[in-house]
Amino acid sequence: MFELKKFRKKSPWILHFNAGGCNGCDIEILACLAPKYDIERFGMINTGNPKQSDILLITGPVTKRTRERLVEVYNQMPEPKVVVCCGSCASTGGIFRGMYNIEGGVDQFIPVDVYVAGCACRPEQIIDGVVVALGILEEKTKEIEKTIKLANKPVVEEDGQVNRRNMPAELTYETTV
Amino acid sequence: MQSIIILSVLALLAPLVGGLVYGIERKVKARMQNRIGPNILQPFYDFFKLADKRLVMVHSTHAFLGVMHFISIWVAVAVLIFGGDLILVIFLHLLSTALLIMGGFSTRSIFSHLGANRTAISILAYEPVLIIMAVSIYAVNGSFQISSIINSDPLLYKMPLTFIALLLILPIKLKKSPFDVAEAHQEIAGGAEIEYSGIFFEAIYTAKWLDYIFVYALVFLFGGSNYLLGAGLVVGTFIYINALDNSTARVDYRQMLKFSYFVALPVAFINLLITLFN
Repeated sequence: MFELKKFRKKSPWILHFNAGGCNGCDIEILACLAPKYDIERFGMINTGNPKQSDILLITGPVTKRTRERLVEVYNQMPEPKVVVCCGSCASTGGIFRGMYNIEGGVDQFIPVDVYVAGCACRPEQIIDGVVVALGILEEKTKEIEKTIKLANKPVVEEDGQVNRRNMPAELTYETTV
Repeated sequence: MQSIIILSVLALLAPLVGGLVYGIERKVKARMQNRIGPNILQPFYDFFKLADKRLVMVHSTHAFLGVMHFISIWVAVAVLIFGGDLILVIFLHLLSTALLIMGGFSTRSIFSHLGANRTAISILAYEPVLIIMAVSIYAVNGSFQISSIINSDPLLYKMPLTFIALLLILPIKLKKSPFDVAEAHQEIAGGAEIEYSGIFFEAIYTAKWLDYIFVYALVFLFGGSNYLLGAGLVVGTFIYINALDNSTARVDYRQMLKFSYFVALPVAFINLLITLFN
């Protein structure tokens, strides 16, 4: 039978998201796309568009400003999809862990499939991590994917105006089908 | 009867050939940058992968306009292959681009609006040259019918300047550097097609392959009855477009319009005057 599933492995399109890192890992990801490592030979394209990509590459720790964007970008990607954390900051929070503006690792907000260690992670490691992610991507079915939505209730002031200052007000995890 | 069957098969296979052209183009581009590059069948892998993605659409009109964009460009290519009217082909192609622009404007995404805007601007840049090309072909050949153009003497010797003008606007048409403001991958992440995903993006993606067929078929017409010359022109244009794409940086849309109106359009117009008063 003609299996569409096996083609997932052959054309993974990448979305690269910086959740608030120092740009070190981003440069390494761009090095993967450059002629020396050339990940386009595996059919990977850096799309920059969540609606058309399969792999979400995240760098940097999640800050209070980026967590909503991160979840929003993750929700916009159609299934099947995998998430790869590049670098120790994205995996655990790294040296930024515990700071007043840092929420911590990416896995507190969205399900992560592969963690790539290193500060900054080397291009070879990123390619290895993506190859592991491709194995996971092939096994995934559309049903096991559930989006986790970050719902924040708007705070209404006494005069009826919505308070825009406290946008990431409350974190409520909802699973939607 | 037999020729009709052959032509129908050709028209049906046009997306397949376009996908191969796109695959070869990606490979050639990679080799020009000293990379290994993807497989030649890579566009088809992308095609099957996109078919497997979850169905997500913004709203039904948006998806419908995307699919109609694909169908209308396929009709344009089919009319071109069957040897119909050149003006009809050009306007069918314009219709397909207009549908994409409407699709881009039908969402609330600002990137989609920007891309649709820029696509409209690039139509302003390349469409006059295509129309003047059709008119000069009529002046030389006495007919808009492609079936009569393909049986006449090579057009290249009678209208070389029009061919040069066509070469100048082809990067705008194919959204290649330096005139890729409509797509602008690093700025607006793909332009009017940004909100399409999964199987609806597949329609846009396949329409892009058909665009290649459309453009290279137009180039092939300049060979006339000399098919070898036509094939040579197609290969030369292919290499020229990829070399240009790899060696230049994107320009502003104003610079693109100025280039089109002050360089490409006069060149085509001079050739039209020469053919009219010769």
